[in-house]
Amino acid sequence: VSDQVLLTTTVGSFGKPDYLQKARNANARGKLGESELNELERKATEEWVRRQERLDIDILVDGEMYRGDMVAYFAERLDGFRIGGLVRSYGNRYYHKPIIASKVSRPRPMTVDWFRYTQSLTDRPVKGMLTGPYTMLDWSYNEAYKTRRDAALALAEVVRQEAEDLQAAGARYIQIDEPAIHARPEEIEIAIEAMGVVTQNLDAKTVSHICYGDFAAIYPKVLELPVDQLDLAMANYGYRWLELFNKDPFTKELAIGIVDVHSHETESVATAAEGIRKGLRHVSKERLLPHPDCGLKTRTVEESEEKCRVVVEATKVVRKELARQASPA
Amino acid sequence: MKTTVTGAYPKISDEHQDLRRALHRHDRGELDASGLSGVLDESTRWAIGELDWAGLDVINDGQVRWDDLLAPFARAWTGCDRGPLERFYDNNTYYRQPVITGPITTEGTTLVRDFEFARGVARGQLKAAVCGPLTFATLAEDRHYRSLEDRTLAVADAIAAEIRGLGAAGATLVDVEEPALVAHPEHFALARAAIERLAAAGVPLALQTYFFPADSLLDALAAFPVAQVGVDVRSRDTKALERLNALRQTVVLGIVDARNTRVETEGELVKLIETALKQVPGDYLWLAPTTGLEYLPHDVAVRKLKALVAAAHATGGVKA
Repeated sequence: VSDQVLLTTTVGSFGKPDYLQKARNANARGKLGESELNELERKATEEWVRRQERLDIDILVDGEMYRGDMVAYFAERLDGFRIGGLVRSYGNRYYHKPIIASKVSRPRPMTVDWFRYTQSLTDRPVKGMLTGPYTMLDWSYNEAYKTRRDAALALAEVVRQEAEDLQAAGARYIQIDEPAIHARPEEIEIAIEAMGVVTQNLDAKTVSHICYGDFAAIYPKVLELPVDQLDLAMANYGYRWLELFNKDPFTKELAIGIVDVHSHETESVATAAEGIRKGLRHVSKERLLPHPDCGLKTRTVEESEEKCRVVVEATKVVRKELARQASPA
Repeated sequence: MKTTVTGAYPKISDEHQDLRRALHRHDRGELDASGLSGVLDESTRWAIGELDWAGLDVINDGQVRWDDLLAPFARAWTGCDRGPLERFYDNNTYYRQPVITGPITTEGTTLVRDFEFARGVARGQLKAAVCGPLTFATLAEDRHYRSLEDRTLAVADAIAAEIRGLGAAGATLVDVEEPALVAHPEHFALARAAIERLAAAGVPLALQTYFFPADSLLDALAAFPVAQVGVDVRSRDTKALERLNALRQTVVLGIVDARNTRVETEGELVKLIETALKQVPGDYLWLAPTTGLEYLPHDVAVRKLKALVAAAHATGGVKA
């Protein structure tokens, strides 16, 4: 992997197969046991590892077959959280918004077994996937801590423990997602401070995914977020964030979103390749990683696969161009 | 002092999930539009019943039919389509972005049928609500108007038409929900010009600001042609509570945090009310949650309303 340029990856989640969706529903209704569900989650995870290998993605993920919501998954496993009643996010979509009810602590690792299992299935690197402390705070109700900073730093401590356990288990890439980082731009210092707690002892490559908001409001300050790589949705925004890099050059590795994940249709390979070329104007080929804009959990398995296929093919087109430029015939 | 609410009420509870089920059935083609409309009416009846039962003096219809603050208008108006989902300010709640494709026009009857239905159900005084023009204009994608000013004033004309329609249907007070005003205080002069167009419709208005501090705008707000100004004193660090005397209108004080599950103690609320009463006479002070209670699970929303009403009674608020 290391001598390749434009390494391809994904943001973390994939569509769940029908049999798993049905099993999750049955489990929620008490009609399917945990161990039976777990078997199916492992099966779906292995299928996704094989698909990613077949698609020729360079840096893999476990696909989050065992997760629903990216904050609730952790809230359900941390002491101090209570799961509240239903709250609407949009339309007819409701979720159980977590409540930080008392001081937060981590009784045991939450994702390490899944990382170990997934990594055991492949020689390619698998990313450890966590939700960042600021997003955990922002997407929960805070009843326990006096200030939002206090809560973010307490959450940072438990995310740090999990990240260090992932590293000890062999993770070479650890992604700590902060999609809520621009919810309150005036609080970016808190998000930066909290991320510093998480990554302070890590040697693994650290990544943070940011999406769905006004990136301009936190740029260039967000370059101070202590991670090696920022992972940004770009296709959905018409690559407008790249214009910010003209004034304040981008200084990290950039995982660049080149296919929109919210539409059923996927861009053409040519359009996606053009997205990579746009990124190359600002970030070198060694530091640019093409991927879909965001997690693919709202898409079907087939749609998820198609979007990944376009990312990889577009990348191969641009790699060939770069190779031709390097050694003209 | 009167008690009231702003914005949307939770559409479902653990026990009352009729609407959620009906929308699923509608999506699967198992329930037609009129069947769904019947369930929406029943859910509105349920929400109004809960608001009445909580002992509030002035209620709204719970906005059960509103997907988001902009949706009823974006759906009804000519010149407006509906675009992608976007995050609604600093909430993990989303709205469908209106896309303005041509001149906005409306007959001004968008909200009339629902207002008349709600009035037939509500026992107490009922107020109506509209989206603030600056909020709509700043959250929409504009492919037609040339500037924020043109867009905001065009939206204001359409909202003024809706307010005229509500007035003709008997509305005596209309909330204008305008978080953009405090999110973007730099646009206050434009917001004021827009609100002047709304006021010309001749129905008393309550300008509801929330999510962000109103501190820098209190003096400017005093000159807005509205009967009431809503101020959120819980969402951010703010000293607005000590400066309420800058306002000349009735103050709708958002004292119960509608975005946090921790239920305020009576002592805590009484202290806030007593501070406000040093600035504003009781006749000019209304008490409310900071914003729509739909940001909370239903069980917590109910407890928040109880806390609000109890604190109002404890400080001498008398039920009208």
